[in-house]
Amino acid sequence: MTTKQQADAAVAPLASLSRRKLLKTALWASAGTALVVAGGFAWLRRSPVDELPAPDGLKQLSASEYHLFRRAIEVLLPTDGTLLTPVAQIPVIANIDHLMGLVEPAIREELGIALGLFDNAAVFSGLHGKRFVDLDDEAALRYFDVWSAGNTLQRTLATVVKKFVYVSYWRDPATWPPIRFDGAVSDRWGIPSLGNSPLPDESVEVTA
Amino acid sequence: MSRIDTVNAVPAQGLNVVQASDVSAAELTLRADAVVIGSGAGGAVAAYELARKGLDVLILEAGPYVPSTEFSEDFNDSLERLYQDHGGQTNKEGDLLLLQGRCVGGSTVVNGCVSFRTPDFILEEWGEKFGLTNISPEAMRPWFERVEEHLSIKENGEHEIAMHSRLVRDGARKLGWSVKPFKRNIRECALTGHCLSGCKTDRKQSMLVTYLPWAMAHGARLHSDTRVTRILENGGRAVGVKAEVVGHDGIKVADMHVDADIVVLAAGAVQSPLLLQSSGLANRSGQVGKNFACHPSMYVAAKYPHEVYPWRGALLGVYVDEFLTPEKGGFILEAGGLGAVEMCLLNEPGSGKPFLQFMEEARYKSGIVTLIHDHNVGEIRWDNGRKVVDYKVADSDFPSMLAALKASAEIHFAAGAEKVFVPSVEKLEINSVDEIDTVLAKLENKPQRLRLVSYHPQGTLRMGADPANSVVAPHGETHDVKGLYVTDASLLPTSIIVNPQVTVYALASYISSEILKRT
Repeated sequence: MTTKQQADAAVAPLASLSRRKLLKTALWASAGTALVVAGGFAWLRRSPVDELPAPDGLKQLSASEYHLFRRAIEVLLPTDGTLLTPVAQIPVIANIDHLMGLVEPAIREELGIALGLFDNAAVFSGLHGKRFVDLDDEAALRYFDVWSAGNTLQRTLATVVKKFVYVSYWRDPATWPPIRFDGAVSDRWGIPSLGNSPLPDESVEVTA
Repeated sequence: MSRIDTVNAVPAQGLNVVQASDVSAAELTLRADAVVIGSGAGGAVAAYELARKGLDVLILEAGPYVPSTEFSEDFNDSLERLYQDHGGQTNKEGDLLLLQGRCVGGSTVVNGCVSFRTPDFILEEWGEKFGLTNISPEAMRPWFERVEEHLSIKENGEHEIAMHSRLVRDGARKLGWSVKPFKRNIRECALTGHCLSGCKTDRKQSMLVTYLPWAMAHGARLHSDTRVTRILENGGRAVGVKAEVVGHDGIKVADMHVDADIVVLAAGAVQSPLLLQSSGLANRSGQVGKNFACHPSMYVAAKYPHEVYPWRGALLGVYVDEFLTPEKGGFILEAGGLGAVEMCLLNEPGSGKPFLQFMEEARYKSGIVTLIHDHNVGEIRWDNGRKVVDYKVADSDFPSMLAALKASAEIHFAAGAEKVFVPSVEKLEINSVDEIDTVLAKLENKPQRLRLVSYHPQGTLRMGADPANSVVAPHGETHDVKGLYVTDASLLPTSIIVNPQVTVYALASYISSEILKRT
């Protein structure tokens, strides 16, 4: 079975669904027993992380969203053994929380549902019967890769999670020196501003 | 009409903008000869051209005023402060990022300075199919020359062609393809590579440092943080606008009412049709918001065996126009640099370690931006109070996308690249010329398959001679509402393949002359 076939098989009932009002229906139809509540899900499997609180100071992320992104950061940014800035030194979660605050409220609501789907769908995706937050590293990475090659909904969700994580790491200037990205240079180089341009010479008019 | 004959000096730096923080009254009532909605390419040029002829001009900009001294050269920060929807504007499917400036100066503040005239064959097509014989290549030439002179548009010198662009030039030349230096609207480029975050040292000749200060020198007033909610009409004539002044915290500060005999709509090809729809105006043809096109772009990155540093030097150096005309493919390829954050968003090298390796090797990357002559198949509309950008790449355009991808890969390999990354959601890499066709054959025209970006929304209030299938008449006034003019990229009846800023500047200049004839 190819990666794509695995992906299609994993969440086949969701294949034609991509809009938010159908997301809840999608999970319901797939899991059969899912209890879907407004703005979120009752979990298809309990996880040890459900008992753990989110850190103080988060303004946008729910506890479940925090745990999902925490796990995604661990598997998507394995900086140990690389020359890159250790992920532990970068406030990736805080940056994700900030980005969430920029999302239009209606889309933010959809996003919450979508993230819940991403987490829960791993239960019935044929992987390990676990939520994404409980997958081991290898399975979690495979989950991302399978979904990146999957149906429209899967590709969308995998991309969304990755983008939040990647941007929230790489936006921090502390991540730039190892890849020799220069960042802001004008002040450092002492480049003067040219300011506003002077009024143009209007002695000749266009004659159309 | 009032006449303002005084010309003030252009300030050395910055603009005297009325911002939300300056407004203390809950209701503002203003009067102007002409109210201009939007301060980007179409709005700023119209404001200047009308103001310098003595009209009392009021410019209303929905976005904030961010002086260039506050530009950070940090792309993420810039997305949040200077772009529409904090850089998160997408189509309905979420697979096409639609980047538009939302600040005083509009997209001209954050574009890459690329300055093309409208191709002659496009203008000729508009004449044949839409009755726009008044804007033939011959008729438009003086308007192009005018804006090119005003905005210091000239061809890149050799020092403005960075390593990433030299590679593309080398590859194209080896293949025998036409490749040319860009023309750009810039003075003494400082080669920072941060064009998309605004030019901190005012070298880019955006509206922020040219037409807006010039218009204000001629008496134009500019209010930022002011979102027009309705265009007012009486007896088939535009008579003004209603607007809201909204603080940077999102809280409304004041309602505004403007009386004006002339309304110039230049809010951009997404916002302008939405405003007309909200106002219930100018839609006898049913075309308001229809015919959206956007030049869906891909960034085709490649890894080279040597360091390239794609963020160093002028952002855009050369372009390949071998395939410009529709019979040869209808696309152009632009050699473009990019920074770390953009790089992590535009490619999919795999999850985990492969991704980190991709980023560790960032300085070895170079890239090509593809622009295609897409059909006008999209639509902008409201849906339960939410903006919808309904656009998918047409099946008829997909071959052009693939051809542009293939040509980009061929250029990279001809220039010595080791590997080309297909800008797809799933991991797709090409390791040699022989693999190009096999890998690209895996792509399908389905949502969330390619990583697409658009910088050029256009076509949603198209111009034409026939009121039955166009919104705006050939002289720029809407067919249905007298005194209501459009000067932004909404006008373009077909996509123009190339970057549209000069087209908009020239059309806005021409339409302003038509407004003055009728005033």
